[in-house]
Amino acid sequence: MYNLVLKDLKLGVNPWFFILPLILGGLMLIPGWVYFLVPLYFCFITVPNMFGGFKSQNDLIFSTMMPVTKPDIVKSRIAVIVILELMHLLIAMIFSIFTFRLYPQMTYIFFPPYMGFWGLCFIMLAVFNLIFITMYYKTAYKYGAATTASTAAAILFAGLVQWAGIQNSWMHGIFYGSGTGNAALQFSILIGGILIFAAFTLMAYRIAVRRFLKVEIL
Amino acid sequence: MLALDIRNLNKKYPNFQIKDVSFQLEQGYIMGFIGVNGAGKTTTIKSILNMVQADSGEISILGKNIAEHETELKQDIGCAFGDIDFYTRSRLKTLTGITKKFYKNWSDETYYSYLNRFKLDENKKIAELSTGMKVKYSLTLALSHGARLLILDEPTSGLDPVSRDDLLDIFQELIMGGEISILFSTHITSDLERCADYITFIEQGQIVASSEKNEFKESYRLLSGSESQLNEVKGKLISCKINSFGFTGLIHARDIDPAWSLNTAIPTLDDIMIYFAKKEGVYV
Repeated sequence: MYNLVLKDLKLGVNPWFFILPLILGGLMLIPGWVYFLVPLYFCFITVPNMFGGFKSQNDLIFSTMMPVTKPDIVKSRIAVIVILELMHLLIAMIFSIFTFRLYPQMTYIFFPPYMGFWGLCFIMLAVFNLIFITMYYKTAYKYGAATTASTAAAILFAGLVQWAGIQNSWMHGIFYGSGTGNAALQFSILIGGILIFAAFTLMAYRIAVRRFLKVEIL
Repeated sequence: MLALDIRNLNKKYPNFQIKDVSFQLEQGYIMGFIGVNGAGKTTTIKSILNMVQADSGEISILGKNIAEHETELKQDIGCAFGDIDFYTRSRLKTLTGITKKFYKNWSDETYYSYLNRFKLDENKKIAELSTGMKVKYSLTLALSHGARLLILDEPTSGLDPVSRDDLLDIFQELIMGGEISILFSTHITSDLERCADYITFIEQGQIVASSEKNEFKESYRLLSGSESQLNEVKGKLISCKINSFGFTGLIHARDIDPAWSLNTAIPTLDDIMIYFAKKEGVYV
């Protein structure tokens, strides 16, 4: 499994996609922006390009020729996705500290990047993973429909919670108002998001393995 | 010991099926796996490597079932697919650096000795290699991890005659120690005339024959005669070609009647493949 991850990191994933989180993290410095877009760029840019690369480089046959099991192939690929997702989120989180320092008087229309917001981002990527990974492993090479459906679902989630955050006073209070000063509440939303992310990704892994075992490597 | 033992392999696709494929390869020999394009060679090979899920049947490699010992057995298998390239923009040394980590018996010494022998430059990118060089690189990787069974799917397709000849010499050298066995699929049968010990012939997803090469060839005869003589033998021919001089057909050696006054000759592997391809209906 470790060797497969190493193979993806050294061969399969262009180094650019490890630099991209740093550049996209810089978008956190735009005052009052739709910060959901920062992790969403991972879905828009990294995922289709990376999986297009795997397809064009015949990675599937290369991996299956190695002395590894099919569940290991799935596990390692998910590990690579998760590594990149965490890079995107963690770097954006670090940038968000500077956002608050740069614009202390900012009035936010969209979610301000407090811990609770990052919890929502984890849930958004959890939704993305569940749909993308399970759809992709029906064939293990067709990534177009999987990317479209999973990205649409992630945008829908982001759109709905953002709408609720603006329209609903309870939600507004948690993510914009007095709740933002409640470190315990914010931290618990973040932890909740991380747990949902882990659970959905694990669920995606199990479904993907079941599907991948039936895939014919042609 | 059997390097490869395939028994009653079945796999059904909507428009094609592998039916009751069975053959065995003794350790230390080269088996040519022949058949026309689309006969089922690659599907069989991919079933051996567990890339395709067979509907039924058993595949054992070096005495162990591949379905149960896939990871362990893949340490002992080296494969090369003639027409597939991986990570073509990567340098050989990068790909080798990644590949070697997967194998517990990897030997850098063996790797560099084959690299020198095949005149491969580690700093070249895969895309910069000729077709023959790519096959040699695949072989280098396979041999450096101590593979005892080489499964080569059309490795000589697209090679020039000199490279093919060179590769066939290498195959023969490899089996000399009696440790390495080679299953070598091709439709270029002249390669097998030179180096194969056994021939397995697949046609429309079914094994027509699997035996020692000369025994295989001698079990058939090319029969030729005038068109008027054709009616006498037509029922027993596998198939035939008619031209202005008469006919030429392929027949099982056992079906020849000594009373016939026809010219007979031992067919080449090409002849056998061609006449079987012309045959209609089900096999004997």
